[in-house]
Amino acid sequence: MKALSGIAVRAVAAAVPTDIARTQDYEYLTPEERHRFQKATGIASRRIVLDGQCASDLCIAAARNVLDHLDWPPASVGALILITQTGDQPVPATSIVIQEKLGLPQSCVAFDVNLGCSSYPYGLAIIGSMMQSLGISRALLLIGDVSSRVCAKHDKSSWPLFGDAGSATALELDDRAPPIHLDLMSDGSGKDAIIIPGGGLASKRPPPDDGAVQLEAGADGTLRRPDNLILRGADIFSFAISKVPPSIRRAMDAGGRTSSEIDFLVLHQANKMINDTIAKKLGFSAEKVPTSIEHYGNTSSASIPVTLCTNPDLFGETRTVAVSGFGVGLSWGSAVLQLPANSVLACVESNATY
Amino acid sequence: MSIESFIEKFSFAIEVEPAKLDADTDFKSLDIWDSLNTLSVIAMADADFNVALSGQDVESSRTIGDLWQIVEAKSRQS
Repeated sequence: MKALSGIAVRAVAAAVPTDIARTQDYEYLTPEERHRFQKATGIASRRIVLDGQCASDLCIAAARNVLDHLDWPPASVGALILITQTGDQPVPATSIVIQEKLGLPQSCVAFDVNLGCSSYPYGLAIIGSMMQSLGISRALLLIGDVSSRVCAKHDKSSWPLFGDAGSATALELDDRAPPIHLDLMSDGSGKDAIIIPGGGLASKRPPPDDGAVQLEAGADGTLRRPDNLILRGADIFSFAISKVPPSIRRAMDAGGRTSSEIDFLVLHQANKMINDTIAKKLGFSAEKVPTSIEHYGNTSSASIPVTLCTNPDLFGETRTVAVSGFGVGLSWGSAVLQLPANSVLACVESNATY
Repeated sequence: MSIESFIEKFSFAIEVEPAKLDADTDFKSLDIWDSLNTLSVIAMADADFNVALSGQDVESSRTIGDLWQIVEAKSRQS
């Protein structure tokens, strides 16, 4: 895969709701199980949206933060891409609604992309290559999910893992920007590892309405609505520890870098055990692998920007980072890129609906 | 690698005394067994035997000996 040239990241922001769900308060696990869960996953608390708040709202809060920080007039933004699997409505694409809410011009390209945990490297590739080939000078990459709204609260295999968050990354054409090296992968044979089976047309089920939704027992015995998320954690775990380290290595190799030449490795935040294993295999010490999972859980597509924005003090000077996202699809990817000094903004809290 | 070393690594992974386990142990009926142990066992197979076990591999095995056969077969393939 060719490197992406002439694309500079100018700012990264993330937004989370204020409502905190603590592992220690989760009523469907015993106190002992809660302790064990927290130790293994690293998740102490998560942020959950209040009724009515959407992924778009969190992404708009983050987008306003980057626009204000950079002093970019909305009229200067030529492309807006939203990556989410929890859009505001099936049709139209949520990004187009956001174009109007952010006051972006009609000349702004806007569309949604359906990806989850692999969104960050994919998003950089999609928006960066469009900017480069179409000559779009400024663009916003919005990535976020409100996973709490698709998980059943009593589902111990999904509910205590996920937190809600939105993010915004501002990018600009810049001939002096160092190349971004990418590695992007897909494997549809693993589609059942994380799936919302109902609600789409393939399921031949009508969308849920009137509250007359049938609950179905999964292979694990858990009752779920057809539009609830099912997560097979062991399969994701196995996939992540075997497929992700080679992907990161390919992205580093593409730029001729070794792990010692990377300032920080920023991984999707699914589970502490996964990330410890990946970091160890690649020879990254713990202090070079910042985290956010303890505070925000698995923030799905937004986890990489959320992790950056949870640790803004690490980015006071120009940093070369390797990022890797992996999960639902299966889809995974890695990128090695440079973040300019002070381009990572601290996470903001927002319960706003726009 | 022998089944003895696999049982030992298995016991460390799930934090149980090695003496309490043998090849015939029906590991999923152990009191302490839960889904997080599945992850620990997958991580152990990866780290110590360089084998990628799936969730299904663990699910379909009844005894530690059954799982060892899968690990052995997969390590021969790689």
